[in-house]
Amino acid sequence: MRYTRAWQQYLKLSVAALPPARGLLPLVVLLGAWQLLQSGKSPYFPPPSDWWNGLMLLSKSGRLYPALSATTITLLLGLVLAAAVGTGVGLFIGVFPRLSRAIGPLLEFLRAIPPPAIIPVAILFLGYDERMKLTVVVLAAIWPILLNTSSAAERVHPLLLDVARSFRLSAVDRMRLIILPSVVPAILLGIRVALPVTIVVTLLVEILTSIEGIGALMIGAQRNFQSSQVYGLLVLIGLFGLLVNNIFAVFEAILLRRWPPKIQSENF
Amino acid sequence: MDKGRLIARINWPGTTVLVFGGLAWEAAVRSGLLEYEYLPAPSAIALGWGELAKEGILGSDIAHTLISVAIGWAAAMVLGIPLGFLLGLSATARRYCLASIEVLRPMPGVAFAPVGLLLFGFSLKTEMVVTILPVLWPVLVNTMGGITGIHQRLYDVGRTFRLSRKDTILSIILPAAMPPIVVGARISLGLALVLAVVAEMVGNPEGLGYGIVREQQALQPDRMFAYIVTVGFIGIVLNAGMLAVAEALLPTSRQLRGEP
Repeated sequence: MRYTRAWQQYLKLSVAALPPARGLLPLVVLLGAWQLLQSGKSPYFPPPSDWWNGLMLLSKSGRLYPALSATTITLLLGLVLAAAVGTGVGLFIGVFPRLSRAIGPLLEFLRAIPPPAIIPVAILFLGYDERMKLTVVVLAAIWPILLNTSSAAERVHPLLLDVARSFRLSAVDRMRLIILPSVVPAILLGIRVALPVTIVVTLLVEILTSIEGIGALMIGAQRNFQSSQVYGLLVLIGLFGLLVNNIFAVFEAILLRRWPPKIQSENF
Repeated sequence: MDKGRLIARINWPGTTVLVFGGLAWEAAVRSGLLEYEYLPAPSAIALGWGELAKEGILGSDIAHTLISVAIGWAAAMVLGIPLGFLLGLSATARRYCLASIEVLRPMPGVAFAPVGLLLFGFSLKTEMVVTILPVLWPVLVNTMGGITGIHQRLYDVGRTFRLSRKDTILSIILPAAMPPIVVGARISLGLALVLAVVAEMVGNPEGLGYGIVREQQALQPDRMFAYIVTVGFIGIVLNAGMLAVAEALLPTSRQLRGEP
């Protein structure tokens, strides 16, 4: 009961935090002008009404929903796995300053490699299948989460650690009661940074390997010069990204509603 | 900086781990402990890199990727900073644009690859279609945020000195918004490299991104890894370069932001 109320409250808050809807005007004007100026059939710039028809065609052929669900499942599973592993390893590294100094340069080097570049490696090692897709997504999402967690665990306020010492907390309790709660905002921030990366990498794998998903659908439509389907899927992906980001923002707000320290996130 | 301090600043345990990790990898592959068909030893990667460099492909690939990064990033700066200024200065512009930006911002760059391919085929133009829009957002949003985040008291100072609108912008807004703009420019640069590589993998068969895919399809893992290491290295160099430029441009910003 209390939790449903919290949901509603935070949904309301996050809706209130959205920028005013009249800000959509430039986009609406652009699409409207496109629709009006593009009268005939165009192979390159089909009018927005055709985009909708293209999507309907795809959905009628029964290829849209499997692709959408394949992409969504990869994304969610990848994020959950990356969050679990990244948080665990990050905490472990962060708690031991010597360890973090020793493997810091290695981690920095691994992180410097752009996530898309590991896709060909994964293809070579794992072949063209779902497992490879998931591995790549996890590897891409794990760095921001891991590094954010470990640096937050290193910077837990010394006063809090003194509290743990005063109460003679065991190592497990110290982790559970002091360190974990103080790094949760950083973990969430890491996931938020990882979100767009995982979307990009998932789509890229699908485009490169034609493993089932929206990316594969899109590149297939392009190869067949189904321009209206390409644009329709582009809009769909945009909405998908928007939805995923906003759902996570609400989730984060609910989870952090009683966390005292506010994390500065303006520069990521 | 004198030599002693430089030596003391090097992270010795970190360097040791890096070196030993490399040696262990080499030993594991050579002794057959790690037996993957496609896992080359670090020495093989270095040899592959040398091969590529000697054949002259690596140089031209690096040049192509760097040029694409430069074009994409420059376009994002030229568009993003003025637009960010406009949105930061005018509340009306913000009211009528912000929602559109929030809708477009999470659009993943790769999704534009099929559209680019449709319009321009495999070309540099397709690469730019993929690169420019996502690279635009960090610098635009940071410029806007930098301006809207300026403390009211700074404007009060301007009013006390009876600064004109132009002087307020030049001597109050611009310096105060500079640090976030530079941060945005740095994030954009890193993103530009990633997206250029992505675009080369799917939309423009040239440059480092295509090199990775090409060597993977040719089953030449040593050369593929050589390309990947090169991309990572360029990323580190670009980031360090931007940091150095930022520090030269804004010597005081570190203290202002309370960083050590």
